[in-house]
Amino acid sequence: MKRAAVPKTRNIHIDITLVFVVLFLLFFGLIMIYSASAYSAMRTENSSTYYLFSQARATLIGLVAMILVSRFDYHIYRKFAWPLYGASCFVILLVLTPLGMTKNGARRWLNIFGMSVQPAEIAKAGLIIFFAAFICSNVKSISKLKGLVQTMFLTGIPCALVYFVTDNLSTAIIIFCIVYIMMFVASERSFIYILVVLLILGAIFALVYAVENNIIPADISFRLSRIKAWKNPEAYASNTSYQTVQALYSIGSGGFLGKGLGQSTQKLGYIPEAQNDMIFSIICEELGIFGALAVMLLFLLLIGIFFMVAISAPDLFGSLLVTGVMTHFAVQVLLNIAVVTNTIPNTGITLPFISYGGTSTLFLLAEVGLVLSVSRKSGIE
Amino acid sequence: MSASIRTFPKKSGKNKNRNENSRTRRLTFSMKRKLLGLLVLVLVAFLGLLYRIVQINRDNGDSYKKQVLSQQSYDSKVLPYKRGSIEDRNGSIFAYSEKVYNVIVDAKLANGDNGIHIDATMDALKKSFPEIDINEVRDYIRDNPSGQYKKFLKRVTADKVEVYKNLEEESLADEEAQEADKVAKNAVWFEEEYIRRYPYDSVACDMIGFVQGDNTGQYGLEEYYNDTLNGSNGREYGFLNNDGTLERTVKKATDGSTIITTIDVNIQSIVEKHIREFAEKYANNYRTGPAANNIGCVIMNPNTGEVYSMANYPVFNLNDPRNMDGVDLSPYESLVKKKKKTAEEKEEEEDKDTVSEDAADSSDEEQSEEASEASEASEEAGQEVSEEEDEEEDEEDLYDSEEIKNAVWKNFCISDTYEPGSTMKPFTVAAAKDAGRISGYETYECTGALEIGEHVIHCHNRFGDGLLTVKEGIAKSCNVVLMDVAFALKKDDWLKYNKNFNFGLKTNIDLAGEVNGAETTFNEKMGTTDLAVASFGQGFNATMIQMIAGFSALINGGYYYQPHVVSRIVNPEGAVTKENNPRVVKQVISNETSDMIRDFCNSVVMSDPKECTGWSARPAGYTMGGKTGTAEKLPRAAKNYVISFIGYVPADDPEVIAYIVIDTPNVEEQSESTRLATTLCRDIMTEVLRYMNIFPTLEITEEEQAELDIMLEDFSAGAVSDNSVSENSVSENEAGAEGEGRQQDAMEPVEMSENRIQYDPETGYPLDPHTGEVLDPVTGQPIDKTLPSDLDF
Repeated sequence: MKRAAVPKTRNIHIDITLVFVVLFLLFFGLIMIYSASAYSAMRTENSSTYYLFSQARATLIGLVAMILVSRFDYHIYRKFAWPLYGASCFVILLVLTPLGMTKNGARRWLNIFGMSVQPAEIAKAGLIIFFAAFICSNVKSISKLKGLVQTMFLTGIPCALVYFVTDNLSTAIIIFCIVYIMMFVASERSFIYILVVLLILGAIFALVYAVENNIIPADISFRLSRIKAWKNPEAYASNTSYQTVQALYSIGSGGFLGKGLGQSTQKLGYIPEAQNDMIFSIICEELGIFGALAVMLLFLLLIGIFFMVAISAPDLFGSLLVTGVMTHFAVQVLLNIAVVTNTIPNTGITLPFISYGGTSTLFLLAEVGLVLSVSRKSGIE
Repeated sequence: MSASIRTFPKKSGKNKNRNENSRTRRLTFSMKRKLLGLLVLVLVAFLGLLYRIVQINRDNGDSYKKQVLSQQSYDSKVLPYKRGSIEDRNGSIFAYSEKVYNVIVDAKLANGDNGIHIDATMDALKKSFPEIDINEVRDYIRDNPSGQYKKFLKRVTADKVEVYKNLEEESLADEEAQEADKVAKNAVWFEEEYIRRYPYDSVACDMIGFVQGDNTGQYGLEEYYNDTLNGSNGREYGFLNNDGTLERTVKKATDGSTIITTIDVNIQSIVEKHIREFAEKYANNYRTGPAANNIGCVIMNPNTGEVYSMANYPVFNLNDPRNMDGVDLSPYESLVKKKKKTAEEKEEEEDKDTVSEDAADSSDEEQSEEASEASEASEEAGQEVSEEEDEEEDEEDLYDSEEIKNAVWKNFCISDTYEPGSTMKPFTVAAAKDAGRISGYETYECTGALEIGEHVIHCHNRFGDGLLTVKEGIAKSCNVVLMDVAFALKKDDWLKYNKNFNFGLKTNIDLAGEVNGAETTFNEKMGTTDLAVASFGQGFNATMIQMIAGFSALINGGYYYQPHVVSRIVNPEGAVTKENNPRVVKQVISNETSDMIRDFCNSVVMSDPKECTGWSARPAGYTMGGKTGTAEKLPRAAKNYVISFIGYVPADDPEVIAYIVIDTPNVEEQSESTRLATTLCRDIMTEVLRYMNIFPTLEITEEEQAELDIMLEDFSAGAVSDNSVSENSVSENEAGAEGEGRQQDAMEPVEMSENRIQYDPETGYPLDPHTGEVLDPVTGQPIDKTLPSDLDF
């Protein structure tokens, strides 16, 4: 009993830390959304708190969802693995129905009772559960070619749907990354995975090199033209890389301590929809390198907690669930900051909990609920 | 590893055991290691990104900060300043800037409230601006629903804008009106701008200059006083206050200063009228072509250096300076010809080239086959184009060239140099007298020519006038006397005085484009022959303004005033910020010398017509002094002359001085056409003196009175026809002209009836209209037909 008590107390600490980090990020996110959006909200929606309230509502629903999800034994979700997989693919296909909604030229949203919902965000959470269960059940075979191909095929379907139906490459990449990391962790092999990653990276570098040196004409796809804009943002500052350049101006003008909360000038119409993907640049401008460091440390802490939960999970399913959630957070945070700082070409990825986006926040919180659920179990031996 | 694998059950099919299995299948060490590895990877990636953020701040922080700040001004609006006006000495406005508006349509606002206001807005637009293409506006609003800026009309006047604003206001204020009848608020707005207007169109065009593009003055006062006339733009800044609402601060524009000139628009108009009449009358007179290559006239106050008027031919419309449609371009025929010639020569050369190349091709075909093929192809193409161009590029294009425009815009009176001729003679005498080399009472024997070295320099009267005093030499414009005086003066002193009189130096008149002519004046290397011809104004060049400014000093007591055009600069608040008082630059000759020169010059006009050259310049009733000039142009063989007359009134106490230069008059015997200049001067002065309220002091003979009556009637008629100037035009009370309101039928030069220029069929010399005698055109005195007159050398 003594031995059981030790992990329990430890896990309670972890739970509390996790909840506090999440709450802190959520509140910080709301403050930043208000700061970043007040001006444009006043102009377009006639209310400076439009985005703030919208996000706060989603956050509250998300917190309820988080608590609910964490209350259940996570093993229950394993039973719904296949239905969740089907549902994930289905919601993406829904954008093709009249429920679908087009914003900024992309058909990525569903209009449900007047609320806009991004099905890809739902799919990400559903697929984490499905693949945790699937990999868990096929842990032996995924080390073999057949199982690998099988899993890749199952990953490929939602990825392809996200890419072709909603024209959202970044989410497809995120989904692939999540599943890939989960497989990597569960598999007995590691060398082959690392090799594949290296090959993919090599291919990307080759592509970038080719585009940069005009071996491949960049105008065949807007994605390729973004690569050009990425390498030389100032040259495309009036169109392709306008957002990127403005974000860089924003970051660069912040300095170490920033201009002070609410003092960003770039949010005044220069960075379009500053509350969305580019909110990190506003953080840099208003709170400086110091603020950016603080946010990154919080995310690092969150990921570290996920890691602790993952390694102390009572079983492989729980571990893989948490690994999936951890990967989801890590990939989104890293890619978002990388985009904002023009470290990689521009692609639309939101910063978890901080960027404006109801569906994203809601389902991210649900995923945190999953982690909490796993964490609760890991204390009981 | 193998141990841990064993703990994993192979795919469990039994649900019963699943919970149990799951609980046992915990992460292996290898998996934990992988997870830890991932965590480390994430940490490294975070560090990398943090470094990136620091790097952006470090490397580009400052420039990005500036970028951010500079972008802010995007939200601000430029408030244009008003360029200052240019006024004449009595407050008539030569140039002013008028506020005009560009009509901007904001489609986003027009489409507001689902576009129910569009119809009302379009109606208001149409009503206020009938010239607008309303369908175009509708198309724009429909096709660009989020467009916020489109200029539909440029430079509309304030009254139309007022109409629209009123319509908008009324419709918005009308509470009973239906929503659909209301004009969309701010959907149409107006951008302010200033345009330059010249109410007198072409009057004083060369002196005023014009404005191009962004308030940049070109030529004349507009260029010279560009910075004074321009102000600085203001700005309207928008910023967010603490409540997050947009506030605006306005930094007003500083308008430019107004310049008050010494020009008198009426004098200027009188002068331009006479020049125009002259140009019309003598166009195609003897040969096909313009009346003269140029006709210049400057009128000044010799006691202050104030320029009353400065004109040359042709004039252009300042409101549309690039449009050469109404401009008489015939004086620039030579420029056109030159261009044509060069174009033809080019063509010929090209032809030659191709011929020679063909030959070369045939001789060593193989060697240069490839190269020549390529070049041939390109050349052929190029040639075809140029040939077509030559054919199509008719005279019109040649006339439209920038070169010709520049020639039209140029102010002849300050930008062109020429050999001044005999008007220089008083300068030579003044220098010799002032230097103490002559007393002025010497007599010289004129034998008709003087042998200097290898050259024989003739007087216009080849048979000589016998013994002449210096005064008579001036009055008769005797070259021999002047050469003797110059030899008495000697080269060094001549050069010294020449420089003193500012030849080869700018007068620094406040007009853009003045040249100094330094490269065409004499220097130390001047030889005896040079000195001889320089004594009567040949062999070196001067500008009109140099001549008249120097001549003013000769007759006003010896004080060289800097000629100036602007008297005052007035800031937008109306305060005088700068006053250009008459400025004596130097005293060039003594008072006594000046008195003597005035006396000499008076004899040029006031002596018995038989004894002087300038009698025909005198306006009836006035005393006048002056000097004629007939300078032979280079190349001498062409027998082209620049004829001129410089004269001042009244003779003893000059109040106004006028200088007329006619370059290459279109008459058969140019060397004897000096009368054209003197009579033009008389016509101008007759009118100008009356306008200036300078009263005649001499008795007017009946003959003169009859002539004068005709003249004045025409003047007043001409003045009335010129509406813009009629307000305070020629003082008609003086003449008591009944011609008021009468339209001038033809621009006939007033007193110069046809018989004036009748020529003796035998000699080609002009005949005196009154006596019928054959006249020497230079001296104006009757001569014996058998005696040739020439100033050849």
